[in-house]
Amino acid sequence: MEKIDKVVFGDNQFFGINHMSQDKAQQLAEKFHDLKSIIDVYEYAFESGINSIMLNSNDRANEITDYFRSNKTKYPDIHWYPSLPYPHKYANLVAEKGIIPAVNEVLFAGNTAGGFLSMITKGSAALLGKDIIKVMQMLIDIEMKAFAGLNLKVIFLQNIISDLLLGLNAKVFFIEFAEYIKKKYNVLPGFLTMNLPLLLEKFKEWELEEVVICSSINKIGYLMSPGIAEYERATSSYDRAKYQIMAMSIMASGAIKADDATGYIKKLNIDSVVFGASSRKNILETSKMLNEIL
Amino acid sequence: MEKLKIGIIGAGRMGITHMSILGPNPNIKITAISEPSKLIGSLFEKYFSGLTVYSDYNEMIQKEELDGLLLCTPPNLHKSIGLQAIEKGINLFVEKPFTTSYKDAIELAERAECKRLVGQVGYVNRFNDMFLKAKELLKNGIVGEVIRFKTEMFSSTICKPDDGEGWRGKIESGGGCLFEMGSHAIDLVNYLIGIPDKISGSLLNKVYSKNVEDIVSSSFYYNNGIVGTLFVNWCDPTYRKPSNKIEIFGSEGKMLVSQHELKIFLKSLRSDYKLSKGWNTIYITDIFNNVPFYVRGNEFTSQLFHFVDNIIDRSKTNICTFADGANTQRVIEEIRADAKINMGSN
Repeated sequence: MEKIDKVVFGDNQFFGINHMSQDKAQQLAEKFHDLKSIIDVYEYAFESGINSIMLNSNDRANEITDYFRSNKTKYPDIHWYPSLPYPHKYANLVAEKGIIPAVNEVLFAGNTAGGFLSMITKGSAALLGKDIIKVMQMLIDIEMKAFAGLNLKVIFLQNIISDLLLGLNAKVFFIEFAEYIKKKYNVLPGFLTMNLPLLLEKFKEWELEEVVICSSINKIGYLMSPGIAEYERATSSYDRAKYQIMAMSIMASGAIKADDATGYIKKLNIDSVVFGASSRKNILETSKMLNEIL
Repeated sequence: MEKLKIGIIGAGRMGITHMSILGPNPNIKITAISEPSKLIGSLFEKYFSGLTVYSDYNEMIQKEELDGLLLCTPPNLHKSIGLQAIEKGINLFVEKPFTTSYKDAIELAERAECKRLVGQVGYVNRFNDMFLKAKELLKNGIVGEVIRFKTEMFSSTICKPDDGEGWRGKIESGGGCLFEMGSHAIDLVNYLIGIPDKISGSLLNKVYSKNVEDIVSSSFYYNNGIVGTLFVNWCDPTYRKPSNKIEIFGSEGKMLVSQHELKIFLKSLRSDYKLSKGWNTIYITDIFNNVPFYVRGNEFTSQLFHFVDNIIDRSKTNICTFADGANTQRVIEEIRADAKINMGSN
């Protein structure tokens, strides 16, 4: 299995996401209202030696990837780690219209997926329902349009979706997602989760291998279900040839200081860390600490 | 112990989410779902073994021997389905809003009580660690006597013109901002402060919806002198997720609470709660409790596991009863009636 990058730069700070405080989230959203302030922060990350970016396929992803596509000569070596989909887009659409019309709207709005889709009319949603795997593949392709032409490393399924499917014990969707990502995009499939011990147990049972698992891992156990002890057990005994683990939320949205956070990660068998920060000082320091321990 | 048999009616967003949350629970087995959409029903039949799929809930209630039922249909169906389930002796978890009228809510509450069944309503804020903490602090008089409060709820549910075709676009089926979002904010007030004795100054206005209100405001009055205001907007694009906030001003200090943080200003030190004089901040990362399985937030798992635990051990205290659901329904009805007086038929 191809090795993933040890330090990846995340995106929560850009999109007003803070799991600890609505006020902090609001401040971040205000700070990063324009593309330039986002790019400035990426520049700090590059300065620290990071060349990998995780980015969710939300409505601002395009703006960011457009910039990097148009400046490819300036940034020739960036590795991209997209995460799909932007769950709140679907959540709101589903709330407004119901599940089937929501999927329909995403698939058919302006025929954004192009090509063969123009052959299919809205009336054939029932037909699509019979082949939900095909629908899933089409949705992946739509979400991936924002990342066209970029150097991809891993494509992640967002935790809201992967944990929903995990609870449903929906083996086939995990297998099909992984196969499609490998076949169509020729990169490693990844899964974000807040339930790493159970996900890893299921992957072993299903013999789903050569995948990346990204999960909240931090010394206070925040967003780690069922608990920190189970996480420590799971990360001490997995087969590193079959699975790579990437930690996220290592600072638990700011509740843990960077040195404490990296000190904890050092004790575990973890391949990689994705972190986000917005000040130059924090980015340089955290990146340095992570490079020392990973 | 034999696994509890749980059924779900309505495999929409909440039905599927609940199914996932309960999936890994070792004490239960989801044995049946009922969903009118043939498409969704056929997907469940195809991909999930050990599950009987019905298109008719009457048939499911009659044929299945269920210990518990999760009712996740549009709210206008809750009463008739709920009564059927209660008559069959099935414990019930009903999504919010509990019903579309106070009268229906009372009827369900009384029938379930009569049959000694567990009845829980899906007011998930009651299971949020931060609001639980706020409740504990208020109960112990941290801010002294409550004088005034202000509660707000925001979401970006409807952010463009809505044709009103879905059930959320019609009052009769339980749609609109007051039923959908307002019910959460009202229940939070009922839970933290108490049930208001009088409603006044209510206003409902439309932004994008054809048939229902998008913004709700109202004032609450209590016989003990407490006064509060409520503001709910479900078409605010600045909120990624539904967010509840409540600010409580009391004789000894002030408290600001949301799902993720709690700020308290105190006039004097409370060492028993490790709270200093002046400002104190408690973050969710300070007080969270992990759940066995996480899908949409700890509180969503906690509320369903609470339902299951209450079926297993009937001596437990139910945190969100049908009576609680009925109280929220009464306030909703009073707000709508008051707004009608204030705004005429507009």
